[in-house]
Amino acid sequence: MKAPALTPARLRFAAGCHALLLPSVLLLLVFVYLPVTWAFVKSLYEFEVGSPARFVGLANYGEYLFSDPPTWPSVLTMFLLTAVGVAVRLTFPLVVAKLIHSLPFERTRYVYRLIFLIPIVVPGVAVQLLWARMIYADYGLINEFLRTIGLADWAHAWLNDPETALLALMCFGFPFAGGFEVLIYYAGLSAIPESVNEAAALEGCTGISKFLRIDVPLVLSQLKLILVLTVIGGLQGFEGILVLTQGGPGFETMVPGLWMYYNAFSFQRMGYACAIGVLLFVAILGLTLLNLRYFRSAEEVQGGSS
Amino acid sequence: MSRARLFAIHAVLVCTAALTLLPFAFVVNNALRDNFEYNRSFFGPPQAFVGLAQAGWRQATGDDRPLSVQLESGEVRSMTRGEVATHYWDKLTLGIRRAWTVLRPYLFNSFVVSGLTALGVAALGSGTAYLLARYRFLGRDFIFGFILATMVFPGVLTLVPSFLLVKQLGLLNTYWAMVLPYVAGGQVFAIFVFRSFFTGLPEELFESARLDGAGHWGLYWNIVLPLSRPVFSVVLIMNILGTWNNFLWPFIVNTNDQHQVVASGLYTMARSGVASSSSTMYAAYLLSSIPLLLLFIYATKPFIRGMTSGAVKL
Repeated sequence: MKAPALTPARLRFAAGCHALLLPSVLLLLVFVYLPVTWAFVKSLYEFEVGSPARFVGLANYGEYLFSDPPTWPSVLTMFLLTAVGVAVRLTFPLVVAKLIHSLPFERTRYVYRLIFLIPIVVPGVAVQLLWARMIYADYGLINEFLRTIGLADWAHAWLNDPETALLALMCFGFPFAGGFEVLIYYAGLSAIPESVNEAAALEGCTGISKFLRIDVPLVLSQLKLILVLTVIGGLQGFEGILVLTQGGPGFETMVPGLWMYYNAFSFQRMGYACAIGVLLFVAILGLTLLNLRYFRSAEEVQGGSS
Repeated sequence: MSRARLFAIHAVLVCTAALTLLPFAFVVNNALRDNFEYNRSFFGPPQAFVGLAQAGWRQATGDDRPLSVQLESGEVRSMTRGEVATHYWDKLTLGIRRAWTVLRPYLFNSFVVSGLTALGVAALGSGTAYLLARYRFLGRDFIFGFILATMVFPGVLTLVPSFLLVKQLGLLNTYWAMVLPYVAGGQVFAIFVFRSFFTGLPEELFESARLDGAGHWGLYWNIVLPLSRPVFSVVLIMNILGTWNNFLWPFIVNTNDQHQVVASGLYTMARSGVASSSSTMYAAYLLSSIPLLLLFIYATKPFIRGMTSGAVKL
């Protein structure tokens, strides 16, 4: 298509449109693009807030990758937590959504969807504080339950014991069904055409076998969405760990994001923190591209065979 | 479906729902019990309930004999029915009243921050999306790409430099330190969702309105906005949930208490002396959830409809 001529009227119109877009664009320039640029630039400097910066080249990156002791254990912890997060978020809410979807009455289905959505009104930090104080604490729900049924020996300071701290973080949020995921999977299941369900029933494909062979492949795009979101969240999220264990005991539950936070706001090493942020960005970008690529090909295969 | 199978499905769902909501039931219970009760037994109902029920029973049966009540100090005092009711009512609500005193300024700040952000995101998001969706002009696709590209940058990349920026701009300990970055980031998702909705609106609608003499502004205000209510409800709810629940950023950019919001305030509270009173802390969790619960009750229907009617494409 040939671009139309640049008449003064068109230019004037475009200028008017751009003027109206200015607030959006300006905000993005100042509060997104500028910080992104700073992240890269300042990662090359060693500085504290208020004191002059010293150019150190790639030394921050070198230090983080090769000589900072918490680096690799914390990367391993991050991947462990992310893997568990992916595993539970792809299964528990999907099963719940499927169970709700298989009920015969719209009214009960709606009520269940509502019930599983309620937890989103509680601020995340309140839930985390709650788990730390009420569920995992020495005087907490799990231990009191164990003591009540006569298993007092099993009682633990779950978050303070190096043996159990990571396990406790993995189980945080059990049974992993409160939130948007159920709704997203439910929408996916609802979108499956009735003809497919009828064909499956005719072929005698029901129950678990129908779920695995028909439903799961057909909600693949929802699974992909949750997968990408969970992986991104797992790589960059550390608020939960900050609240629940502060990365301890020792460095048992440290993750790179939290180490970045400590370097910036406890040790005042802003340049070093920026370098960790840049490395995490690269990791997230790489994994996201990998996700998209792998899953697009999987979808094409599915599209080709049906 | 067989009856046994239906029963099994309900059983699994009810158990899962119970496990999901159980912690919140304990929050309500613990908000109504004082430290002494809390430490004596983890489970068990608030003592004040029992006392109130007793007073209520005497009221109902017209029994005027005095009751003996043990006070915090251990002293046992004889009280009339009305005094007993007042005593236990005070005891029941003590945690909530204390939490309210601490939380009130935080709640106010949260309303201001989330409200201003939602306003900014709704106005900028829908306006910008309308221009990008319904007009052709030089550089339009570039601008759309420029906006969408920001989705690539995760929060962890910009957290530290954004803090440095806000500090340099002298915005620490102001509402702007939260509102401006929230609007900047939040509008992107809004633009994305609004634009795909606006693009799908039929052109005939605009044609006929133009024939009736509607200008650019008139089209936006009278045609587009009334049609996009479900999209607005989804975008605004997602946005408000995000800003209300964000604790890390407010925690970082508020070095004093003046503009602290609920989420970061709770974290500060949990690490201060207030936390030694269990009922106050649990009541604070309870109070912090109520505004969103109200929003949820008011907006669930349009939200679920918006998410599933196809108005919003994710």
